[in-house]
This record gives sequence, structure tokens and C-alpha cells, in this order.
Amino acid sequence: MGRRNRRLIFFVLAILVGLAAGLFSGWELNPVPFKGTSPDSLRVDYKGDIVLMIAELYEAEGDSGEALTRLAFLGDEDPASIVEEAVVFAEEHNYTAEDLVLMRALLTALDASSEVLY
Amino acid sequence: MLDETQVLRTSPEEPAGNRGGWYLLTGLVLGLILGLVYAWVIDPVVYENTLPSTLDEGDKDTYRCMIAEAYAATGNLERAALRLDILDDEDPYYALGAQAQRALAEGRSEEARALALLASAIKSYQADSEDLLSTPPLPTATQNILPTYTMPIATSTPQRSFIIFDPMNNDRHLSLAG
Repeated sequence: MGRRNRRLIFFVLAILVGLAAGLFSGWELNPVPFKGTSPDSLRVDYKGDIVLMIAELYEAEGDSGEALTRLAFLGDEDPASIVEEAVVFAEEHNYTAEDLVLMRALLTALDASSEVLY
Repeated sequence: MLDETQVLRTSPEEPAGNRGGWYLLTGLVLGLILGLVYAWVIDPVVYENTLPSTLDEGDKDTYRCMIAEAYAATGNLERAALRLDILDDEDPYYALGAQAQRALAEGRSEEARALALLASAIKSYQADSEDLLSTPPLPTATQNILPTYTMPIATSTPQRSFIIFDPMNNDRHLSLAG
């Protein structure tokens, strides 16, 4: 193996070592700041509380379109499944009966509006 | 003459020998930069299970507005205060007031009204909480005779005091709340 080839191999190896160090540093040691996160990354209990707020507003306004607009805050996922997940979480974590009624009413309204659409 | 030829032959080799460490260091730095660009820009860490306090300012505003609207709809101040608390604002009253002003300036009067309503409610709630904290504790003897966990039964009749005459003792009257 010529001296030139050996140098090239060591150069590539150095790049790979640097790359590995850079990735480790950027992902583990010094990742992008923990700020400016999006609402769809919120913890499930906070998502549940947002759904409860939207259910409280739906109870007061009776506007499922407005509820859908508000649910879009939680991401692109299907709004009915977002509410369904929140209802399941609420049932498992002993939310009050009144809150569960509100959330189920919202879920029923969303199911009904999606049936009208399809 | 021979010596000069040897010098001429060996001179190009010397810088190559000195470069030995530098090209490795160049590769290492190049790799490090590429790794950092990939980890920070192209495929950064995606956080999950985050807290509302880490949301960006625009999303915090939307969250705060929803809290205010829910308060306007339900009147549940305690719940609204707890919800605001998780946003971790330095001064929730100021944050609500500032957002209300912004909403008003942008022509969203309904939103501004809800935010202002919650701001004023939060201010009195904070003042009440401070009063409660500054009240000195009751003496132990008094605390023992205070009823605990006894909720009054709600009736449609307002409470009245009745004065009952005690026939055994003409001077004494019993006062009952009914």
C-alpha cells in the first residue's frame, strides 16, 4: 500500500471519528435547546387537559366546527382519535364524572360530524 | 555538488512529514462539523412528553387564550389558575394583560375580553392567596373546637336565628340557628 493511499485511509477514518463525535455531541451531550416545542409533543395528561378545556367550551358554545379548529392545536392527527385517547386517559386516571361527561359529549359530537361528512 | 543534490532531493519530503498530523486533524474537524450540522440542523433531537412551559411563545398564547375562554365559559377560577401555573409565566397577570392588549390591537375583541376577565380574576385570586398566607395561625385551643370537614347542607331557606324562651330560667334564652 502506497504512502498516499495510507494517508487517504487515515484521512477518511479521521472524518468518520469526527462525524461520530459530532453526532454524539449534537444528539446526546449538547442537543438543540429544550424550548419552542410543539403542542403535539406535550405529555398525555396535558393533552388531556387541553381536550377537557375544548370540551368545556363545546358545552358552552355547542359549536363542533370551533371545537375542531381548537383541536388542530394538538397536531394533524385525527381530532376524534385525539379526543378518544384523552377520554381513555381520563377514565384510567379517575377524572370527575362531570369532566368525563363533557369529554364524551365532545367525542360524540365529533363522531356525528364526521359521519355527516363521509 | 553531491551534497547539494541530496539536499534538493530531501527538501520536498520534509513538509510532507510535518503535515502528517495536520491532515488527520483536518479530517477530524471536518467530520465534527458535519456531525454537528446533521445532529442540530438536518435531524435534530425531537422531544416528546414535553411540558406546556416549553412551548414556543405563539403556542403559549393559544394555550393561554384557551384557558381564558374556558374560564369565561365555566367560571372555574381555581382550575384556570392551575392551568396558568403550568405555563410557568413569571407573572401570569402581566402575561394575560399583555396578551389581551395585543389581541385588542389585532381586532380580536372577544379573545381580548376573555383574557382581560381572567387577568382581573387572577389578580384578586393572587391577592386572596397572599392574604391567606399572611394570616397568622390560630391558637391550638381555638383550632381544636373548629368544625372539620362539615359542609353545610344547602337549603333554599336563608339562615335565621331563633330566640327560645327557657321556662325553667326566666333570665336565660337559648339562641338557635335554624
